Amino acid sequence: MMLGNVEFEMAWLAPEQWPRLPQHLVEWLVALCGLPEWLVSIAGWFTSAGVVVGVFMGLFALLSLIERKTLARVQNRYGPNRAGWFGILQPVADGIKMLTKEDIVPAKADWLLHLLGPVLIVIPSILALGVIPYGQDWVPVPLELGLVFFFAVGAMTEIAVFVAGWASGSKFPMLGAMRAISQMVSYELPLIISALAVVMMSGTLSLPEIVESQGGYTLGFLPQWNLFTPWGLSAGVVFFIACIAEANRCPFDLPEGESEIVAGHMTEYSGFKYALFFIGEYLGLFAISALGITLFLGGWQSPLPIFDFLPSWLWFFAKLAVVIFIFLWIRATFPRVRIDQLMRFAWLCLIPIALLSLPTAAIWHYANKANNDIVAWIATMPLVLIPWVVLTVLFNRRLSPATTRTYHFAE
Amino acid sequence: MIPLLILTPAILLAAIGAAWKARPVHAALLLALCLSLVGCLYVAMGAHFIGLVQFSVYVGAVAILIVFSLLITRPSDDDEEKVRRMKTGMPALACSLPLLVMLGFTMFKQSALLEAPADEPAMSLKVLGEILFTDYAPAVLAMAVLLTAVMIGAALFAREPSKKPEPPSDS
Repeated sequence: MMLGNVEFEMAWLAPEQWPRLPQHLVEWLVALCGLPEWLVSIAGWFTSAGVVVGVFMGLFALLSLIERKTLARVQNRYGPNRAGWFGILQPVADGIKMLTKEDIVPAKADWLLHLLGPVLIVIPSILALGVIPYGQDWVPVPLELGLVFFFAVGAMTEIAVFVAGWASGSKFPMLGAMRAISQMVSYELPLIISALAVVMMSGTLSLPEIVESQGGYTLGFLPQWNLFTPWGLSAGVVFFIACIAEANRCPFDLPEGESEIVAGHMTEYSGFKYALFFIGEYLGLFAISALGITLFLGGWQSPLPIFDFLPSWLWFFAKLAVVIFIFLWIRATFPRVRIDQLMRFAWLCLIPIALLSLPTAAIWHYANKANNDIVAWIATMPLVLIPWVVLTVLFNRRLSPATTRTYHFAE
Repeated sequence: MIPLLILTPAILLAAIGAAWKARPVHAALLLALCLSLVGCLYVAMGAHFIGLVQFSVYVGAVAILIVFSLLITRPSDDDEEKVRRMKTGMPALACSLPLLVMLGFTMFKQSALLEAPADEPAMSLKVLGEILFTDYAPAVLAMAVLLTAVMIGAALFAREPSKKPEPPSDS
């Protein structure tokens, strides 16, 4: 269909192209008005960014309700059930409450940094969401160095947490910021090293290409995702554990441990600034889960060849839902760890295993190159199984003081 | 050229602010800002990889290290800081002046640096990686061994000596 000088293509209406439909429509409309070329592309960028932010803000609202409902179900309660039908309007009620609350800046606080803290926490999460391949044709910003970009903007979160904790000018935010930074720095190492194994195997830093390298099926039904190889299983498990810690989720939510240090670096915040912390945290959770899916769970690839007719972005979001649900389940099940256990776990357990996954990946690569699948499995499985078993046993028996700990006041 | 004109004064301002601010935390944050702006400058000049590495290494690690050491050591009062600044200002200026003169001299001597390159540099990330792991392999290996040793050392340092925990005194 021709309208003006820009063609409206019917292919835009295909389900596969739905996420890009707003961008196409805006570009078409702007071109229809006879505006110059550069304005058309700028309008397209803004719409594309708007779609990403809009989708994930909607998912954030939905998740805040689903999380409370799931936790309630696990803990044998009802959860939110007053606002709307089955509490479905609870996110709206929360939003109104957050927006209308008084914004308090403590007298001892550094007001500029106090304001900057929550803003700086949201920005990197949104930036990181921009490079994820959500579908076969839908990468908001297809960067050649997508993975490096993801970790580079992630570095900004640590500074933001410090700014928030320090600018509040009281002791609990400071303690929370210290905990948060030490935890993030420690868990970033296993996170990056396990991602490195994937980079090594696919030979690229571009996230769309990493997803494409996981295409195809073994024996016609088993998807060739990285998680289904020995090195990928090891690195993937490390990655997902480190994900939980990076996103400050239970059982690694020490930075904001409510029963210990009030709310950590968020203690002195109220109103919409407090809400910004939550938005940043949940967008960060989405971003890092999306990266995990891209690296280990085949991104937008469908799990079985017969489901290939479904649009690829649907598979991505289905996987995202599953991963987020597993995080919720873990939150509902595990108690919070102590700070020394947290550090010991990162440095003595996760980092060695993540480092071991690199030679394992190399062996897998060379064995596969010789077209010898069975040799590859036999050679790499011990490298994966033995460290996990040995470290688990060591961790439980010798290194953890939990077994030798005496409770002086509880007995 | 336009990003260069916007970013360079901003970098200079942030650097001067980092040297000038009396409160150590403000200085550290301005330093982080300065380092991230340098990363932006790299990206604007087309060196995407080095720009992103600048972000993750200098902002994510070096600035965090400085900030964290500030958190652990309680900074003294502002007045004391000001006195100290007066005392250390002159030696600092004396140390940095020769560096500044040297930099300026190099820049004006090699005027080719100020001209934009004629074409895009043909150094892709793959080529960079290949050079690093063939010509410069010994250096990379030495760095890798050093960093691994440092990491293991840090983990060993952080491990508390294995002794039985003493019962806390309830005074």
